[in-house]
Amino acid sequence: MPYTITDACVGCQACVRVCPVGAITGEKKAKHVIDHELCIACGACGRICPHASVLDPSGALCTMEKRSSWKKPAVDEKACVSCMVCIETCPVNCLALSAAKDSGDPHGYPYLKDAGSCIACGFCAAECPVAAIRMVQPPA
Amino acid sequence: MGYGYMGRVLNVDLGAGSVEVERIPDEVYGKYLSGLGLGSYILYNRIPRGADPLGPDNVLGFVSGLLTGTGSLFAGRWMVVGKSPLTGGWGDANCGGMFSPAIKRSGFDGIFFKGVSERPVFLYVKNGRAEIRDAADLWGKDTITTESILKKEFGEHVCVACIGPAGERLSLISGVCCDQGRMAARSGLGAVMGSKRLKAVVLDGKARIPVYDRDQVHRLSGRCGRWVRFQLPLGPGTLMGYLGTLLRVLPTAMAMDGFVYKNILRKWGTGGLNQMSPEWGDSPIKNWKGSNVDWPMSRSKSAHPDYVRRHEVLKYHCYSCPLGCGGICSHPAIPGEGHKPEYESVLALGGLCMNQDTDSLFEMNEYLNRAGMDTISAGATIAFAMECYEQGILTRDDTHGLDLRWGNSAAMRELVKMMVERKGIGDTLADGVRVASGKIGKGSDRFAVHAGGQEPAMHDGRMDPGFALHYSVEPTPGRHTIGAQLYYEMFQLWKKVKGLPSKLPFQIYTKNSRYVPDENKAKEASACSRYMAVVNGSGLCLFGVFLGVTRTPTFDWLNAVTGWNKAPEEYLEIGWRIQTLRQAFNIRHGIDPNGNKLHDRALGRPPLVEGANKNRTVLIEEMMRGYWSQLGWDESTGRPLPETLERLGIEAP
Repeated sequence: MPYTITDACVGCQACVRVCPVGAITGEKKAKHVIDHELCIACGACGRICPHASVLDPSGALCTMEKRSSWKKPAVDEKACVSCMVCIETCPVNCLALSAAKDSGDPHGYPYLKDAGSCIACGFCAAECPVAAIRMVQPPA
Repeated sequence: MGYGYMGRVLNVDLGAGSVEVERIPDEVYGKYLSGLGLGSYILYNRIPRGADPLGPDNVLGFVSGLLTGTGSLFAGRWMVVGKSPLTGGWGDANCGGMFSPAIKRSGFDGIFFKGVSERPVFLYVKNGRAEIRDAADLWGKDTITTESILKKEFGEHVCVACIGPAGERLSLISGVCCDQGRMAARSGLGAVMGSKRLKAVVLDGKARIPVYDRDQVHRLSGRCGRWVRFQLPLGPGTLMGYLGTLLRVLPTAMAMDGFVYKNILRKWGTGGLNQMSPEWGDSPIKNWKGSNVDWPMSRSKSAHPDYVRRHEVLKYHCYSCPLGCGGICSHPAIPGEGHKPEYESVLALGGLCMNQDTDSLFEMNEYLNRAGMDTISAGATIAFAMECYEQGILTRDDTHGLDLRWGNSAAMRELVKMMVERKGIGDTLADGVRVASGKIGKGSDRFAVHAGGQEPAMHDGRMDPGFALHYSVEPTPGRHTIGAQLYYEMFQLWKKVKGLPSKLPFQIYTKNSRYVPDENKAKEASACSRYMAVVNGSGLCLFGVFLGVTRTPTFDWLNAVTGWNKAPEEYLEIGWRIQTLRQAFNIRHGIDPNGNKLHDRALGRPPLVEGANKNRTVLIEEMMRGYWSQLGWDESTGRPLPETLERLGIEAP
């Protein structure tokens, strides 16, 4: 279920830069196109577009959000089973596994290694098999 | 397209240097699932009768599982499939790590290679677009170095499967590695990859995997995860050894609940069995002629579970695994950090060779992982060579001065290097015990323990005759990960599948009854094979399904992921189809199923005179007949009957 770009696109290329799979192409200052075979429906293009020119898979117009306010994953280590699903599914590889804890717990846990790369797609939370991740608003 | 699978595979012709995408019809998944089933469906018609396993006509496939990447737990296994150069028949090998989801994230359920490249190459797939690239600079490098170089070039997030020097030199006991030394080790498929001059497969993709009812999948996973996290206190590792002793001296046995084994795995990993298994007769000792008397607790403590665990710096979880039976170790005998030695490696390089040198176990395990050589087969072949040496069949002149007496770890260290490098006696031994025995002759076949060419794993069929049966009847002979009487108890299939023999929780029975072939045992063995074909079509882990089919809900996950709503019996029919297709593959390629029967020594012919398995003999022929009958295969030849092939929709071999 891919995203699409409307005629309102001005070719600013903000979406090209944020797309994690290189699915968006187009000349500067010309309408851009999303390759439906490559699109993974992460929604980053819709969140970043300053000209309201991206439709989500249901056809609704996406609204720009300030990047600093994009939600970030928060891991509940008590519920987490260290299964690596969130780390693997992240399209921008911004999660990593921690070292074992000094407390004697030999398992590592996922943490947000590179918050600046996170595109707030929420795949980590959606795919976590044990509901150990929530997407939360970053502190102001 | 349906749910749970990508609906297409990538075909690579290394001879022509071309790649093409092939769409797979939905009904194929309905009949064969993905993973092992899809692999067998594709290879059955694609590999011509009589193809040379190391020639251009063999097809080597890398397949993921139907449940991989769907939110199901324990679904991180991938398989490599092809015609085995070790057995001459169907070959497959299973591995964890992160490679299984990477196949699907690349947009495919499998990647298949045919032909032979003129020069060393690797395949690079990024977001579904594939390129064959030059691997001249990688050829000759070990598996961990190869992976590190490729990750440096393409990013730490890419997934790599590759061969080491053993596969490049076409060792018939070489495997395919991923994740810094985890190995799809069996069937000798590393040699097939080497014969194609394919050094590595590098995957970098983020495709989404469609799931029919993700909420239901997560509900099921949540329940399963709670079973895994609930951990009983187990005490020190020594107690595991004494538990083995207790199990040995009792005249009765008890139906095992896999939850108990889960606790051992979560605490120590497979190493929790390092002392327990030799004590209760599960581990073969001294090339299968010894017993716990030769390998008592005072000797098996060289691989004490707590010692191995003490070197663990982090639990290692494969993709979607809540258990974490693996471990990353820091040990003076290995450079940097590496995977801890598993039970199979410890016993094959330890008790089977009477080797008590703990450091050498870590060192040889790491060396073989880097070389891409199967630790089970390497240990078994060294044990065979040691017995040849003991018998005077091999002398110091033959071994280039190596003193191959039992337990000489310095000689073993040297020998594994010679095997990987194919130098001197190492060249004779680099292709496993059957080839080595053929070259050495002089009656050495009396103690060349194999089934159809494959060295059996470190589980003794004289303790659990189910192991002996599955070593003998599986289309991949010598395989320990499909069935046993113990496995049937842990799978608890009778709770979901009508008509299967049931067991009470912790049911007590006499040990003698294990050795009496009967219809129920044949049904149980057949059910194990069918179920594991489903498990391997789904990409699930054996240790996960040991928890039992209600706690690890294989059938419910499959229905929630695909939206199929099939009954458990229907899934076992799919497993039956996969199993029968692989057997038909063997028939097509001239394999005589009777010829895969396990070596006499491992069947108790003659029986051991002391130890846990004293006076035990497996009535294998009767058991094989019963098993074949349950699967609709000819009782005396093991060939699938025409009516079975017709019912399952399989073309005659």
